Amino acid sequence: MCPQVLFSNRKPGRIATMEEYRQSGGYKALSLVVGKWTGKDVCAEVQKANLRGRGGAGFPTGLKWLGVPQEGAYPRYIAANCDEMEPGTFKDRILVHADPHMILEGMVLSAYATGAEKGFIFVRPSYESGARILEREIQRARDAGYLGRNILGTDFSFHIVVHRSGGRYICGEATALLNALQGNRPNPIRPPPYPTVKGLWGRPTVVNNIETMANVPHILRNGAEWYQGLSRSSGSPGTKLFCVSGRVNRPGCFELPMGTTLREIIEEHAGGLPPGCQFKACLPGGASTRFLTSEHLDVAMDFESLAAIGHRMGTAAIIVFDHKTCLVEVTLNLTRFFARESCGWCTPCREGLPYLGDLLRRIEAGEGEEEFIPMIRTMCGHLWNAYCALAPGAASPVESLLTNFEDEVREHIRQRKCPCKA
Amino acid sequence: MAYADLLPGEMRRKLAQKIAESETAREQAIDVMTILQGHFGYMSDEAMLAASELLAMTPLELEELATFYNFIYRQPVGEHVIHVCDSAICWMHGHESLLDHLLSRLEIRLGETTEDGLFTVLPVCCLGYCDHAPAMLVDRRIHGELTREKIDRILTKLIEESHSLPGRK
Amino acid sequence: MPRIIIDGLEIEVPQGTKVIDAAERLGIMIPRFCYLKSLGAVGACRMCAVTFLQGPFKGVQMSCMIDVQDGMSVSTTHEEAVAFRKQVIEWLMLNHPHDCPVCDEGGQCLLQDETVSGGHGIRRYRGKKRTYRNQYLGVFIAHEMNRCIHCYRCSRFYQEYCGYRDLGVLQMADRVYFGRFEDGQLESPFSGNLVDLCPTGVYTDIPARHKVRSWDLNRSPSLCIHCSLGCNTVANARHRTVWRVEGRFNEALGSEFICDRGRFGFGHTNHPIRPRRAKEGSSFVSLKDAMKSAAEKLRHIHATFGAQAIACLGSARNSLETQTTLRSFCEGLRLPEPHFFVNPHVKKKVCGAVARLDERVAVSLNQVAHADFVLAVGTDPLNEAPMLALAMRQAQRQGASLVVLDPRPSFLPAPHVHMGVAPEALNGVLGGLVRKAMEPGERENTALRSRGFLQSLPGEPFFRAFSDEQEKVDAVLSGLKKSRNPVLVCGTEVVRESTPSLCADLALLLKEVKGRCGLFYVLPGANAFGSALLSGSGESTFLDVIQSMERGFTKALVLVESDPFVHFPHQERLREAMKKLELLVVLDHLPSLPVQTSQVFLPTSTLFEVDSTFISQEGRVQWSRAVHEGGIPMEQWTGGTHPPRVHSTVIPGRDFRACGEILKEMARIVGGKGKVFLPDPWSFLERGPSAPEAPSRGNRPADGKRLIPRESSPELFPLQEGHFTLREETEHAFELLVVEAVFGTEELSAHSPAMEKWEWEPHMWMHEQDAFELGFSQDEVIGMDLDGGTLEVKLKVCPAMARGVLVLPRHHRLQWQKFSDFSMRVPHDCMRKS
Repeated sequence: MCPQVLFSNRKPGRIATMEEYRQSGGYKALSLVVGKWTGKDVCAEVQKANLRGRGGAGFPTGLKWLGVPQEGAYPRYIAANCDEMEPGTFKDRILVHADPHMILEGMVLSAYATGAEKGFIFVRPSYESGARILEREIQRARDAGYLGRNILGTDFSFHIVVHRSGGRYICGEATALLNALQGNRPNPIRPPPYPTVKGLWGRPTVVNNIETMANVPHILRNGAEWYQGLSRSSGSPGTKLFCVSGRVNRPGCFELPMGTTLREIIEEHAGGLPPGCQFKACLPGGASTRFLTSEHLDVAMDFESLAAIGHRMGTAAIIVFDHKTCLVEVTLNLTRFFARESCGWCTPCREGLPYLGDLLRRIEAGEGEEEFIPMIRTMCGHLWNAYCALAPGAASPVESLLTNFEDEVREHIRQRKCPCKA
Repeated sequence: MAYADLLPGEMRRKLAQKIAESETAREQAIDVMTILQGHFGYMSDEAMLAASELLAMTPLELEELATFYNFIYRQPVGEHVIHVCDSAICWMHGHESLLDHLLSRLEIRLGETTEDGLFTVLPVCCLGYCDHAPAMLVDRRIHGELTREKIDRILTKLIEESHSLPGRK
Repeated sequence: MPRIIIDGLEIEVPQGTKVIDAAERLGIMIPRFCYLKSLGAVGACRMCAVTFLQGPFKGVQMSCMIDVQDGMSVSTTHEEAVAFRKQVIEWLMLNHPHDCPVCDEGGQCLLQDETVSGGHGIRRYRGKKRTYRNQYLGVFIAHEMNRCIHCYRCSRFYQEYCGYRDLGVLQMADRVYFGRFEDGQLESPFSGNLVDLCPTGVYTDIPARHKVRSWDLNRSPSLCIHCSLGCNTVANARHRTVWRVEGRFNEALGSEFICDRGRFGFGHTNHPIRPRRAKEGSSFVSLKDAMKSAAEKLRHIHATFGAQAIACLGSARNSLETQTTLRSFCEGLRLPEPHFFVNPHVKKKVCGAVARLDERVAVSLNQVAHADFVLAVGTDPLNEAPMLALAMRQAQRQGASLVVLDPRPSFLPAPHVHMGVAPEALNGVLGGLVRKAMEPGERENTALRSRGFLQSLPGEPFFRAFSDEQEKVDAVLSGLKKSRNPVLVCGTEVVRESTPSLCADLALLLKEVKGRCGLFYVLPGANAFGSALLSGSGESTFLDVIQSMERGFTKALVLVESDPFVHFPHQERLREAMKKLELLVVLDHLPSLPVQTSQVFLPTSTLFEVDSTFISQEGRVQWSRAVHEGGIPMEQWTGGTHPPRVHSTVIPGRDFRACGEILKEMARIVGGKGKVFLPDPWSFLERGPSAPEAPSRGNRPADGKRLIPRESSPELFPLQEGHFTLREETEHAFELLVVEAVFGTEELSAHSPAMEKWEWEPHMWMHEQDAFELGFSQDEVIGMDLDGGTLEVKLKVCPAMARGVLVLPRHHRLQWQKFSDFSMRVPHDCMRKS
């Protein structure tokens, strides 16, 4: 068993109580830091630990926090992103149901680090149970003096509010999330200015994934060096919540050291593929990453190693496909998802994705033409010039389908039907 | 406040308080709509106008949000709204045949409401229950590892519940 | 200033210039849809992609999103950028209905242009096209959503730029829809700009819809003459019909936008009831005969009763050509000076404003939009000069505070402080505010003379009246104190005679203290400025003319595109006075009341039929070119069929001439051969003290030319007794203010069929408390028994307006002219519910 940090209190079918969290060392970081350290010290420690954002982009968290200008306006805000809607990703749900106070403590610490006085947890509608848990536990933390006015008797105050989303994938994008929180249409806003400078209501705002937040108490309590030691990789410290789904025996969310190999995750932790199924490909980091083939199964799952072979860590949600699954159809499904979830702001995303979907549908339905392949390839390249990262993310599986499985695509066109279907 | 006056006093008070406690009224738009939707069944034009009065937003400004989100219904929906996940993982686990089964049991097409007004079936993107695929959401409650039998059981239970309510046969 | 190389050409541009604008300066028009300079960059359409070769950015980037920086080198023709733009245009055309043959945008459609320039010619997409249901958006704008390419210009303009909240973005993904919550008239009086800024045909102009193809239109640079701002326009005509008016960019005005009054107010020129044929008594005659007859009748009166028996009245809707010729006509025939104002108070105010406007303080509309504090006094920007309201909103969006001191309810579409101050208290509140906002240090540093003026401004007493509005006062004071670039906007209709001059004084004072201060007047009428310049120095007013008519001294009245009934408060008295005339000559193109009673009627051309000059309220001389010859519109002539079945060598209904030409011709006949010397009309502008430089005809700068002196009269601060005193509260009476509204009050646009459909009902505003005390309530019809009869009008109450006043928009369907004099008092006891 690998060391469990974020999941140290995870128990099947039960949520860790505040008492259990406390017994496991919870809220110690808070009393260690609040009133004793400066906000800058906290940022520095987090930066030293090189904690990298768990929402998908992997941006160094300490650096993000330091982006809040010293002379920046008040009040400042924290937005915790619990909107996870990337297909294949469910770690935030597990985390909320495992140990909600870890998230809360992380938020309080990040607020302390950046001088924020109010935090929002942005929760997607299908996590209504999670939203209720968070609301309940926020009240308990407040009663215990970990949250609210004069935290632990100091003059530091911080409030947390749960904000329920109306439900759209794009709301998970940091700037779109801020728009959604303010009651605006959730279109992303291209920085600069960054949210840390001008976020909610024009004030400095830190947006972090809740998994990122949950790491913070452990870093502060145990130190940066301890944190780096958790990882099997040099550039990506700590542990990581890996979600495995698709064609595996034991789909689930596993806390493993950064740098654990993909093979180990799939074969050991997720129990490998069911009998009679052979590994064909996987998406290593959610729907907006590229198909990864068996030749790379031994890649270490960390930001650098994946980047080195042209892949992205994303949300570390591994979706496994077996040899019987038609990847054209999978890609069509993903493309339809992205097309449907586009906010409609920029042309490539709004018009380009349905177009891609149409071409893929025709190929799958046996109406494909050879000329579609260069069209799709070119279009995927052009999607990178979209306004935000949604369209480039959508292009990733499509482009890698053509790169890695061009024969399968051509077979569809040649046979005028899907070769995977009887 | 012609339309907001249609709301029960208690609900109106609560909403007003919620709005007053937030940074800006707008911020509560989704929550207010969700609550009104629970009251009216869906966001009817009247509900939109009531919400716009409470939030000091124009109906158009509210419509800009209402029509964006998945879980705000601007058209009548059934008593129970079923969101069926159609993302890649659920699809791999037989989403299509389960959806066919669900729809044929209810005798509707995707997006429609049953004649008795009990069920509406809508597609939804990944629900975040990929470890329990295939999954669907009924009235925002999750049901995973779906099979035909499980779907039948869920439907039967909801139908029985509604029949046991007074005023229904 | 950073330098950039675009397609091998180097250019230096001001800091903050977008690459797309830098390219435009070099004459390279990078394709774009969402980008519009006035709306700013949002990077939505992705059409303006170029390739960055050198500098901090590399590869394909959007040229609207990146500021020019030193060392940048950009190629607009690089194959990657070209390929991407081609892809974007293909994407945008996937769902477009290709209905160009029946689309009114066709021929002046940016989407057509960019489709061609982008090289997209062959359709590869085989999927279904998306379709939308359209909405009814009111009488001005038609909606055709299927054509939409989702550039977001409309919603951004409508909500962000204009501040209206009933049109926006609905839905998401590829179903994004631009529209309203439900069918209905667009609330913004700037909605017509959607037609101009939509890059394709989603919003088209209803009056012109399906009437004419854009390439068949005669187009010419024109002006808006529906208020004093002088917005620049493009007039479009065909088949003897003016079909459409569009906005035209002017640097000084700062935008290419116009209001809906300006856009849809042209209907008078095509109107079936426009009087087009000359008349003598009740019979139609040729213009030539009518001119001869009018001239001979004038000569007869001239000979019999002397020149003093002839009076001439022009108006603020006259072109400068008409005004100068009228002046020249009167001088040449030795007639009394012409009048241009019916209301003597308005004359004094406008002349006062024009006399005080000089280069030290005068600002353009664009400068108002860049002020950091705008204090509007006695003006209702949205209703009097709609584009001023929009300019103020732009200032506010960049951080300026806006203050409106005005008795009327305020409809400014921007956050602002409105203090409902009665006209009589305006001077005091304004003076008091400025005095109070002066820091002690600033007071001491001002020149001695200014300090004296400052001392003479009222202090505390005027604030007592506003004790319940202390927050507002504090906000105004702190805004004014902080301001480094304030602008005073001053109206000339509801204010007292001394207010325009006080504003000029205060502007000079603030300039002395802050280094900068602007002054911006709103005048009543497109050429009110010209009217003031040409009014002459005499003290006589049109009221004297009426008295002289009543006494039988004035025998002949020449109405030169002017209708005294519009502004004279007692219709019956005017009618009676005019009955005593021996001769009434009317020159006009509007179907005014006097046209019917004239002995001789001479039809004149409208703005669209003759090159004209107007002077806007900031003294800017601007030129408009004729767009067509005029004549009875083809549709009316043929009864709607086309082509016309009736043929003739003359243009039907074209027997009219420019007002000035008619006057010249008449002067020639009246004076007899060689006896009359008409001074050069332009010379009147040269000799006035406030006209240092006459516009030369060979030199007509695109943005007009400001005709104001460097420094106006040297008598600074001519404070007079009574400037700041309030009327004693002895009489229980309201002061009735007859005011402008966006639609329905202005003379020309009142004859616009498009606008008539959207006109509101005539109504009158009263303060909530006043109404309560008198027992009146909203929507009741109030009867007022006045000297000239009973006036009945629907009441609207408002908590945020001055007390003690009634505000009555001068609705063209409401006959309000029942007052014995211009002071227009309405005693409480003459009011009742009816």
